[in-house]
Amino acid sequence: MSIVIDSVSKRFGDFVALDDVSLEVRDGSLTALLGPSGGGKSTLLRVIAGLESPDTGTVEIAGKNATQDPPQRRNVGFVFQHYAAFKHMTVAKNVAFGLTIRKRPKDEIDERVDELLKLVHLDGFAHRYPSQLSGGQRQRMALARALAVQPRVLLLDEPFGALDATVRKELRAWLRRLHDEVHVTTVFVTHDQEEAMEVAEQIVVLNDGRIEQVGSPKELYEQPANEFVMGFVGPISELSGRSIRPHDVEILLEPRDGAAEAAIDRVLHLGFEVRVELTIADGEKTWVQTTRAEADELKLSEGQTVWLRADADRGRELVNS
Amino acid sequence: MSSRYVLRFLALGYLALLLGIPVGLVFVNAFQDGFSAAWDAVTTPEAQHAFYLTLVMVAVAVPLNTIFGVLAALAIVRQRFPGRALFNAAIDLPFAVSPVVVGLALLLVYGSRDGWIGEWLAEQGIRVIFSTPGMILATMFVSLPFVAREVIPVLREIGTEQEQAAATLGAGPMQTFFRVTLPAIRWGVAYGVVLTTARALGEFGAVSVVSGRISGETQTATLFVEDRFEHFDETGAYAASVVLAVLALGTLLVMNVIKPKEAQT
Repeated sequence: MSIVIDSVSKRFGDFVALDDVSLEVRDGSLTALLGPSGGGKSTLLRVIAGLESPDTGTVEIAGKNATQDPPQRRNVGFVFQHYAAFKHMTVAKNVAFGLTIRKRPKDEIDERVDELLKLVHLDGFAHRYPSQLSGGQRQRMALARALAVQPRVLLLDEPFGALDATVRKELRAWLRRLHDEVHVTTVFVTHDQEEAMEVAEQIVVLNDGRIEQVGSPKELYEQPANEFVMGFVGPISELSGRSIRPHDVEILLEPRDGAAEAAIDRVLHLGFEVRVELTIADGEKTWVQTTRAEADELKLSEGQTVWLRADADRGRELVNS
Repeated sequence: MSSRYVLRFLALGYLALLLGIPVGLVFVNAFQDGFSAAWDAVTTPEAQHAFYLTLVMVAVAVPLNTIFGVLAALAIVRQRFPGRALFNAAIDLPFAVSPVVVGLALLLVYGSRDGWIGEWLAEQGIRVIFSTPGMILATMFVSLPFVAREVIPVLREIGTEQEQAAATLGAGPMQTFFRVTLPAIRWGVAYGVVLTTARALGEFGAVSVVSGRISGETQTATLFVEDRFEHFDETGAYAASVVLAVLALGTLLVMNVIKPKEAQT
């Protein structure tokens, strides 16, 4: 089901968490809210769930104005960063919670719980308690619990934030596959641009309570709306007063029009990627990302003089620096 | 190694001198004339009525203070309202005020001749002072803080995420309370109930002031102990003390038995 957020603002005391935010989330899509902490992304998610009420503006879920509805009437699934597992209930009881509240017949509940535990690869853990599960397992349980009530939208607040790097990678890929299977409109919050790029179809960049840009991962990376988005979704390096992706800079061995002379300070071999740190003739430092093959071909070495040329179609003029 | 034993010795020695030996001697003295003498002393009609009255105090004060304590803890931890800090401090008042003062304060309010609302109540035929209602009020006053004090830190620790999760899953406020919040704080509540019960069983000062000490009528178990002691009936005094101690210990024991292993960490 689609979500339409219209001119939503929210303050906590003097702090402006959301400043006139409007956003549309398509039915069945997988959207990431990306931004630095304090940028308003969690508040926006909580406003959609009804866990916070906006000072002004409206939230529409599946074509119905839900702004005044309490969370229990919105039929949204919500997954918390720290799992929010019901510690005194078994895994099965946790997953069944929403169905028990809805007074569904016991057979139906048991069947649905079995099905969901299989979906999240926790079959066999039904009678354990949350304290007997690992972080990743707890989060999958929380996800099954949220999905049990067949929510109209699934909202995840930094769902992998408390997990270690390996488990996080695994769960990202798994969430992506799950979305392909279940097709529920999903919105998740993250401060990790790699996570957003890897999982989401649409990314919303939030900063200081405002939306900076909405777009696909490719659009955000290649056509960032402003300096902030450019810096947040990928690396930047500076060349002749322009911000540019470090892999969009060409290294030449001879001078050419529009190319800046530079001396190589260091060449770092990082597997497939080679990072070249340089000092431009005017004294400014910069860096370029290239491949191992190219670095070998150019025989790049420390102290060498080269010329740098920015890809003319890419990069942005620096406005404020 | 040795310093560890010193610490243990000091801690246990302190406990023995302060608590173990005196309470132990009460048990010894209760049975100095044999078991049957002690049994007879605590089964006289006066003694039976005194224990009955004490149990009535407990039966009324403990449930009411438990409900109040849980609600007060919820208000203090989960809500923001003007005067919250004052309310939080006021709950501790019974710890700070001497029970005798509590008794006198109740006289000022409910006394049938010159009490604040006591006169009016007396005209309606309701007797509070020198009667069971006043004694129950006194017991409730002195045992008020325990449940709230035990539940407040537990509520703070569990946070609000489980409750929010329950709400997003469709649970209304009452369902969330009974299915999520209450089970999460149950050991805090249980421990508060045990302390409240122990305090209600042992209350002397406040009840003593408002009871009028009418033997066989407004005499609780603790008042009975004092009465026996003043009448040089040592066996009676000590034997009744033993019954009180056993009741309190029993409450503690019951909680430890029903408390599952996982919650004891």
